[in-house]
Amino acid sequence: MLGDPGRAEDAVQEAFMNVWNRASTFDPERGSIRAWLLTAVRNRSIDYLRGRGSREREERELQSDSAQALSPSDPWREVALSLEREAVRDAMASLPSEQRQVVELAYFGGYTQNEIADMTRVALGTVKGRMRLALEKLGSYLRGRGLVDV
Amino acid sequence: MSDHEELESLVAPWVLGALEPGESEIVRTHIDGCPTCRDLAGRLSRVVGEIPVAVDEVAPPARLRERVLSAASAPQVAAAPVAISRRPAATSRPARRPRVIPVYAAAAIALLALIAGLLAAEAVRAPSPPAQLQATRFTLTGHQQMSGAQATVIDDRADGLVLVDFRGLPQPGDGRVYELWLIRTGSNPLPVGTFVPDSTGAKIVLVDHSLSGYSVMAVTNEPGPAGSPAPSQQPQLYGNLA
Repeated sequence: MLGDPGRAEDAVQEAFMNVWNRASTFDPERGSIRAWLLTAVRNRSIDYLRGRGSREREERELQSDSAQALSPSDPWREVALSLEREAVRDAMASLPSEQRQVVELAYFGGYTQNEIADMTRVALGTVKGRMRLALEKLGSYLRGRGLVDV
Repeated sequence: MSDHEELESLVAPWVLGALEPGESEIVRTHIDGCPTCRDLAGRLSRVVGEIPVAVDEVAPPARLRERVLSAASAPQVAAAPVAISRRPAATSRPARRPRVIPVYAAAAIALLALIAGLLAAEAVRAPSPPAQLQATRFTLTGHQQMSGAQATVIDDRADGLVLVDFRGLPQPGDGRVYELWLIRTGSNPLPVGTFVPDSTGAKIVLVDHSLSGYSVMAVTNEPGPAGSPAPSQQPQLYGNLA
């Protein structure tokens, strides 16, 4: 997301410090520890992105292809995660490009709906509609694979 | 478009974090009082929670572990750069508890290791129960010489993670440790770790074993550092896991 390993490490460190400072507020009724930590790290990364200049942000890649996979310490876990990743990527790929674009710009790029409307030159209402449709389609796809419930 | 429809149209941008702070707070307030939008937000949030899985895992460098440990152990942790969020916190930050800094640091590191690369997951899984049903808390209560001690067990089945947060433990004595046991009817207690609390009697212990099938968690005082293969005394801190 950040396109800078140093910034990524800063984001992870600060997210963990934030989690640590708020550890007593963890409520298992609201979700898993995994989700809590992932959200904290992602939000911290977005904070970094939004503190940067728009020009710098536009030049950033949304995803890095150079990431080196974690050495598998547990072959079963590695295989399972690989299959889960493949399913989520398939779900993203199944979206119409304009819907996938708004999700990627918002989730990985940290752009607001107003910024996305400006960037893509579509009406704000269209951006909101595409986000909703994209998440509904992703949900439908992932439910079919048993990856999300409800 | 009615006010409700307008706010409902903002739920998807809200779960994606694509609203300005003021808008976000308005939506959050609406969701708190609107069952329809709350259900929608919950459903879409679970979808958004899967999105990071699409990204390749990256092994965190060893130095990151040291950085987090160092930052967590620093005396002025409150000054750590954590205040730049544009999102309103779901809850206000509680007063810091300096006495538990080392143990939370240890927990953070344990969790960092567990989610190395941020995306460690147990898997492509069969349809699972809702996330809110996957983590459970239990309480261990002290008796007799350990009557002031207490522990909270967090069983996060979604992540295969069990944390035990001890408070108010007396020091175990020179050359002694506390040993943690899982007990089920008809079987010998299973030792799952030894530990020594910090000077305030606090400690977070990561249990590398599922609680499934066990009915009681208990703590005894045993010879250190390795503990005993079987408890040498009656436990004075224990609780049911159901």
